[in-house]
Amino acid sequence: MTPAPDKKKRLPLFAILAVIGPGIISASAGNDAGGISTYSEAGARYGYSMLWMMLAMTPAFAIVQEMAGRMGAVTGKGFSALIRERFGVRLTFGAMLMLLGSTAATTVAEFAGIAAAMELFGVSRFISVPLAALVVWILVVRGSFQRVEKAFLALSSVFIAYVVAVFLAQPDWAEVGRAFVVPQIVPDRGFVALAIGLTGTTIAPWMQFLLQSNIVDKGTTVREWALARWDVIIGAIAANLIACAIIITTGTVLYPAGIEIAGAEDAARALAPLAGPYAEMLFSIGLLSASLLAAAVLPLTSAYAICEAFGWESGLDRNWSEAPVFNGLYTFVIVASAAIILLPGLNLIAIMLVSQVVNGILLPFLLIFMMVIVNDRSIMGRHTNSRLNNVLAWSTIVIVIALTVILMGMTVLGIG
Amino acid sequence: MFYLTQMLGKPVVDAAGEIIGEISDIAIATGEVFPRVTSLAFLGPEKTPFMLSWRKFVATLGEDRIELNAERSALRFSYLQPDEVLLARDLLNKQIVDTQGMKVVRVNDLKLSESRNQLRLLGAEVGLRGILRGIHPVVERGVASVLKLFGRELNENLIAWNYMDLLDRDLSHVRLSITHKRLHELHPADVADVLEQLGPSQRARVFEHLDNAQAALTVAELEDEFQADLIDDLGDQRASDILEEMDPDDAADIIGDLSYDKAEALLRLMGVNEARTIRSLLGYREKTAGGIMTPEVTTVTEDMSVQEVINHLRENASEREGIYYIYVLDTDGSLEGVISLRDLVIAEPHTLVEELVSREVTTVGPDDDQELVAEMMSKYDLLALPVVDEAGKLLGIVTVDDALEVLEEESAEDLAIATGATREHGPLAGLWWWLVRRHAWLLVWGIAFLAVMGIRTPLLGAATPAADAPRVVGMMLAVWALMLLPLLLRTAEDLSSRTLAELIEDEDEDERIPLGRRLLREGGIGLASAVLSGLVAFGFSFLIIGELHPYTTPFVIATALATLLTVLLGGVLGHVALRRSAQEKPVSGAGLALAAMVMGTVMYLVLAYAVGHVWAAGSIASGG
Repeated sequence: MTPAPDKKKRLPLFAILAVIGPGIISASAGNDAGGISTYSEAGARYGYSMLWMMLAMTPAFAIVQEMAGRMGAVTGKGFSALIRERFGVRLTFGAMLMLLGSTAATTVAEFAGIAAAMELFGVSRFISVPLAALVVWILVVRGSFQRVEKAFLALSSVFIAYVVAVFLAQPDWAEVGRAFVVPQIVPDRGFVALAIGLTGTTIAPWMQFLLQSNIVDKGTTVREWALARWDVIIGAIAANLIACAIIITTGTVLYPAGIEIAGAEDAARALAPLAGPYAEMLFSIGLLSASLLAAAVLPLTSAYAICEAFGWESGLDRNWSEAPVFNGLYTFVIVASAAIILLPGLNLIAIMLVSQVVNGILLPFLLIFMMVIVNDRSIMGRHTNSRLNNVLAWSTIVIVIALTVILMGMTVLGIG
Repeated sequence: MFYLTQMLGKPVVDAAGEIIGEISDIAIATGEVFPRVTSLAFLGPEKTPFMLSWRKFVATLGEDRIELNAERSALRFSYLQPDEVLLARDLLNKQIVDTQGMKVVRVNDLKLSESRNQLRLLGAEVGLRGILRGIHPVVERGVASVLKLFGRELNENLIAWNYMDLLDRDLSHVRLSITHKRLHELHPADVADVLEQLGPSQRARVFEHLDNAQAALTVAELEDEFQADLIDDLGDQRASDILEEMDPDDAADIIGDLSYDKAEALLRLMGVNEARTIRSLLGYREKTAGGIMTPEVTTVTEDMSVQEVINHLRENASEREGIYYIYVLDTDGSLEGVISLRDLVIAEPHTLVEELVSREVTTVGPDDDQELVAEMMSKYDLLALPVVDEAGKLLGIVTVDDALEVLEEESAEDLAIATGATREHGPLAGLWWWLVRRHAWLLVWGIAFLAVMGIRTPLLGAATPAADAPRVVGMMLAVWALMLLPLLLRTAEDLSSRTLAELIEDEDEDERIPLGRRLLREGGIGLASAVLSGLVAFGFSFLIIGELHPYTTPFVIATALATLLTVLLGGVLGHVALRRSAQEKPVSGAGLALAAMVMGTVMYLVLAYAVGHVWAAGSIASGG
């Protein structure tokens, strides 16, 4: 019953710390198995030539995350609740199907990441995946997830190693700089698909749901938002910085050697300049913890969002008879995703890439929902988007849709 | 029957048969149980919104259109009245509180019915049927007929208007039907249940409608984790007003959970007396009699008459928690005795307290454990129990409602120790943990197996060393040990469940066995188990491996030694657990068992390897 220790003077720094968190957490949760593999593949296969996309995507990502957070702070409601209240049952149903598709595909990628990481340690995926699914499920059900979340988050931050690895790999900085500024396009199907995947993994649709519900749960108010938005923006930029580091490292180490990423061990080789013989271990620890973290977060995110949209009871403290849909949904996502990985003869890296392409294809449609809501004065009051926000977000939407159409066209016509 | 989702977007046709717009909303008057539809809102050309009086202009409402009784030029448009609610804007797709079921739900559709030319709102559909219809009526019919095949109905789940409370639109200034149950009119415990289902911002909005007295009762009913959060989010003045209204023991609990700054700010805003009471309560440790008592006690002196006591009660005790007992103090505040309300009522008005008082009073000290307090109250069937200090001075009373809470808390704690699950996570989680705990040994065994097999190859190397090289022998014994490992694991598990039973049953510190005696006791058991497992090991190596193997002796030694050590170690672990529990720190039964098992496993495997290694090295030295 003793009151907390004295903290009388509230410096602005403390005020920032008080609201910090959701943005950085949700952005780093984005550097998951799907993200690492997509970035590695981009570097290994196309060298530096996709870097310009990262430069273009960073402001877009920061803006989208900022919009999601602002919606949460202004309305006090989750993204899916806003979709439901603005668009009605039918469109919400479609949006929730897309969200479920996005999270399920990504969860499959997380289990692929777990399998790949454990295979580097010599453990068969038939042992590691069911075990991981069980561990994740228990963590979620017991509600002890929040306690281990930080540990996973800390462990998955080993990917910061890429930032060091970049310098040790000694890339040609002039060329890197040029690649950032001069757009290059390789006209084949793989490149277009990878571009969609790159967008999908950087601005993953589920991240917006996660961020917004975090902001709502924290009770961040509009007034606090002025500070909290920086957490979101900095988180977005930091996550993309690591992503760029991965692309540059793999582009320097793997691309000139002509190494195609066929398995996690190839991707791990990019860390060799930094960690030498321990590269594989470093890579697999990071991959494992990032994947476990996301494999627990993703099914929960979709279960919460869907229940919020349809008014079903949700919450980890409700049991099966009180919240059947909620419990059923996340259990289903975990079990189904793990089961898919156990199908014989799957290429794990390919699975991770495909899941991100799925995310990329679904992204623009969910962004359209977001754009309509965030510009609706009756919902957002005077906190609607500025023109710059609108231009950037709409161009992202148009470009990703265009890429999807191009990919489909190329596939149908058999080009590339 | 009409459904709002099916009406929206349907054409509005004037008397000349010309389409003048499409339905965008419908307004109801809020005064009745089944409210009348009062206005029609529609979008004219170029999405211009219009509103019409339903009574004056609507002629017929059909399945696919609405017909007006006047031509476009004769229509007189109206405006939304403050007491009107727009169904699509304010209700459809929104969250509402079902004040009958005490739940927060989302409105999927609104059902209307026409009777005697009057369209009325029957209620809000919050079930699955509304969602399916919202996706498409074909889906609704399809699912309904599939369910029919299985003999099930797709039921509607309707909430009538008088059982709705809106969260997004403030209706507090609108006249509602007399029977309308608003959220803040419910029992505080029910309001608390609903508040727990809402997000922080909605919670704050609902809370605004409660007056301070209601708010105080509601906050007291909230789960602990919500209390401090809610108070923290309120303005200082209101928060302190609410805390002032609450029973001081509950208020002190909440203030204890706040940050120092906030707590001080709130206490400073309170009345001097209330603040002093709460501050004095903050001095007691949690989970003791002092922590759960209330200092508001009705006291009298021996020289008062019954009539005087009753007058005193009328004046002072109207807001006190428990007045079932009246405590009698002497001049310096020491507890002399107690009279019950019953004695008081039965006695003649002029009788003196002296004659009624019973001097045998059961009391507790402020530092006594809260569980002891609850047990005493249940044993002596008391509604309140006085708390006194060493000098016999009355500090406060623990009332029966607080004691019930204690019992609930403690039984949950015991359950958590035993099953490794907290009650809130539901029966399934409990069952699940029970299963995991029962079969944890299998998991430990599996991991040990993988670990030994994993080390084996790198340790022995690619080249085949001589069959009796020390590390080969050590490895062989370790593999044998793997086979017998379940034996040891079961011993460890057994041990931990014994400790657990001790943990839950006797909480009395005096009866606790000191470590030395415990080890002696466990040592006896351990020795017996060691001999037994040694025999099993002997039989194992003799029977399974073939003839009397040259390394039978070291294996038997390792097995017996490992068993003995495991039992002793289990004893130490148990001792630590009991100590922790005595200090009110959390103890997990599953964790205890797991620790014993992991330690036993590591010890057995290492011992088997080490003994084998030493033995082989020794026989090489002596033999060659």
